[in-house]
Amino acid sequence: MSTDPHRPHRDSPSSEGRTSLDEDWTQLRTLLLSPEQTQLDELRDRLDNRAVQPRDVSRVLPEAFAVRGERDPQLSTVLTPYVENGFVATIRKSPRAIVDAIAPIMGPAIRQAIARALQGMTQSFNHSLDESLSVRGLRWRLEAWRTGRPFAEVVLLHTLRYRVEQVFLIHRETGLLLHHVAAEGAVVQDQQVLSGMLTAIQSYVRDSFGASPDQTLDHFRVGEWTVWIEQGSHAYLAGVVRGAPPETLREDFQAALDDIHAQQPDALTHFDGDAAPFKTTQTYLESCLHAHYEPPPRPSVLKLWILGGAIILLLSWWGVMAYQTHARWSNLLAELGTEPGMVVTVAKSTLTGYHLEGLRDPLAKDPSAVVIEAGLEPSSVKAVWSPYYSLDPQLVKTRAQSMLQPPRSVKLDLEGDTLVATGSAPIDWARETKRLAPLIPGIAHYRDEGLVTAPIPDLLERVNRTVVHFRSGSSTVEPSERAVLGAVSAALRELDQAASQSGQRVRLEVLGSTDDTGSVTRNIQLSKERAHVVLVALGGEQLGEATTVIASIVPSTDQRRPTGEASDQRIVILRASLAAANRGNEAARP
Amino acid sequence: MMQKKVCMLGGFAVGKTSLVRRFVSNVFSDHYHTTIGVTVEKKSVKVDDRDVMLVLWDIYGEDEFQRVRESYLRGSAGYILVMDGTRKATLDTALALQQTAARTIGAVPFVSIINKADVRSEWEIDERVIEQLRERGWPVLFGSAKLGQGVEELFALLATQMVSAPSFPRD
Repeated sequence: MSTDPHRPHRDSPSSEGRTSLDEDWTQLRTLLLSPEQTQLDELRDRLDNRAVQPRDVSRVLPEAFAVRGERDPQLSTVLTPYVENGFVATIRKSPRAIVDAIAPIMGPAIRQAIARALQGMTQSFNHSLDESLSVRGLRWRLEAWRTGRPFAEVVLLHTLRYRVEQVFLIHRETGLLLHHVAAEGAVVQDQQVLSGMLTAIQSYVRDSFGASPDQTLDHFRVGEWTVWIEQGSHAYLAGVVRGAPPETLREDFQAALDDIHAQQPDALTHFDGDAAPFKTTQTYLESCLHAHYEPPPRPSVLKLWILGGAIILLLSWWGVMAYQTHARWSNLLAELGTEPGMVVTVAKSTLTGYHLEGLRDPLAKDPSAVVIEAGLEPSSVKAVWSPYYSLDPQLVKTRAQSMLQPPRSVKLDLEGDTLVATGSAPIDWARETKRLAPLIPGIAHYRDEGLVTAPIPDLLERVNRTVVHFRSGSSTVEPSERAVLGAVSAALRELDQAASQSGQRVRLEVLGSTDDTGSVTRNIQLSKERAHVVLVALGGEQLGEATTVIASIVPSTDQRRPTGEASDQRIVILRASLAAANRGNEAARP
Repeated sequence: MMQKKVCMLGGFAVGKTSLVRRFVSNVFSDHYHTTIGVTVEKKSVKVDDRDVMLVLWDIYGEDEFQRVRESYLRGSAGYILVMDGTRKATLDTALALQQTAARTIGAVPFVSIINKADVRSEWEIDERVIEQLRERGWPVLFGSAKLGQGVEELFALLATQMVSAPSFPRD
């Protein structure tokens, strides 16, 4: 029996019968093949419409990625630019979302980095500070100055026990550098070349001694540096250490290396020269950058007490000295303020001493003497004096004395702005002084009423020339003799004044005499009376302060006794002479 | 940046160091050649706008007194065979070194260069021999370290080959 539904039945008796048969066939076919027919229709549709449906892809996409990703890196290569572009677009579109997403990761990382940097800086600063104030620190500072190296480096060299300065992560087979970190301030050479040379040296040493591959160069030392090498299965870690590291450091190196191997197994196994994946090992390598310094010795308590006591003593001594010096300085300023002929305009104390500026009369006291009297060292006081004329009375008088050069018999006094001259002086000096005195600074007027210009010898001669005549038997001064007495009285007063001012004294003898008539007794009595009368007429015993007056009779042996006519002997004569100044006034009673 | 280890191989005094010196500024002194037999230097080149760091292991020339240390070859992504055109014996050394390298590090890219092109008239290596080398698949360049000829091209060619190599070869 044919299964072709479209083929007509050849043995059909009629068309009606054929139609009925076809319907039966169709019905039968539908009954028998309906599920398969549906599947065939679906398959036909899928063949006709070959476009891949998203729904179909979505079913296999994760598995497809996994299968292709395991086979080769092409999937990553193809997707990378799209992922990058998408990432950039996302950042531009909504940066906030990215920030929120990475903040939990970046925050701790940044804090850790900052803390590490601050810790290193603080450690270095504290260390330098600790050492900069000690005796040892001063010695190192001197060394730094002498060698031209920074102080921090000298401190480091002396106190450093060890410091891991650089850590290299190197691919074991190629000798290529995977990553590198260095401590702050460490001198870093070309890292890639150094990695190659380190690998070459290890190969050289291993080959030279015929060592097996698992026997490796452990460490080597160059000067103050030690290079420690820690081997891993695919990479090794080389640490450049300054100083003497403890063995426990190796454990840290090994731990870091193990962590790196655990974190980057694929990158290490399939390393083809691209070191980018190993940037993530930064934290592990930085954890190897240890440093250990010798703690600064703690000064003993006794030393601290002694040091503190010494400082206090020093400060006390300095305080006392400063106070005393300041007191002396104040005294000096007070002294200079009262000293005539000096005016201080600027007074200040400096670091090196004291500074003074002012005006000074040339006749004033020597400033150095005032400084010494105040108790200060003259060398500690720098003074600049400008000359001027002071109107202080004492200095005006000194100036007048200096300029006028008066003789010893002249006394100069100052009454306000008037110069008063008394005593005796040559007429030329008196005349010149009258002209010059008002020109002297500080003197406006000049008076010399009390100045005697006649010389003492002339006055003595005038006095000694005087003779007062009396009538016979009389002791009364005749009116004709009063003019003589007046003249000699004036001469005596001038003489007294001149002698007084020149520091001398005058001895005046008033000597009476008689003629030879009458009795001797009467004549002696009369002579005394006549001398006394003249004495009274001249002013008595109070003739002058410098004059000693003696009334007496002319002695018979006196060569000056008058001779000749009797009328010439009825007289009183005066005898004046200079005597020593220290004798007091004496008046001899007649 | 991509890094590639490259070995400079060749007979004694063929001019390996001179070629490297033409290419890089030296860091270490030549003293290392006679002490540990190698000096490492580096140079960055551009391949298809990508920077590639060539870490050059300039290995002491092989002669009857000193053999090339195979351990130095390990991990190389490529190597350069240097010959002296005026000394035919250096060709034989290069052939031997190539076999050593192939045995040690596998079929990694390499480039050969016949140095001293500035004295071409004195060459003992003739065109026929060069042709035979090329037939063996050797890229053969001519250069002069003295004049600086062919140096940049040498390293650029090797870098290109190494970057385009399918993956890191294993020995």
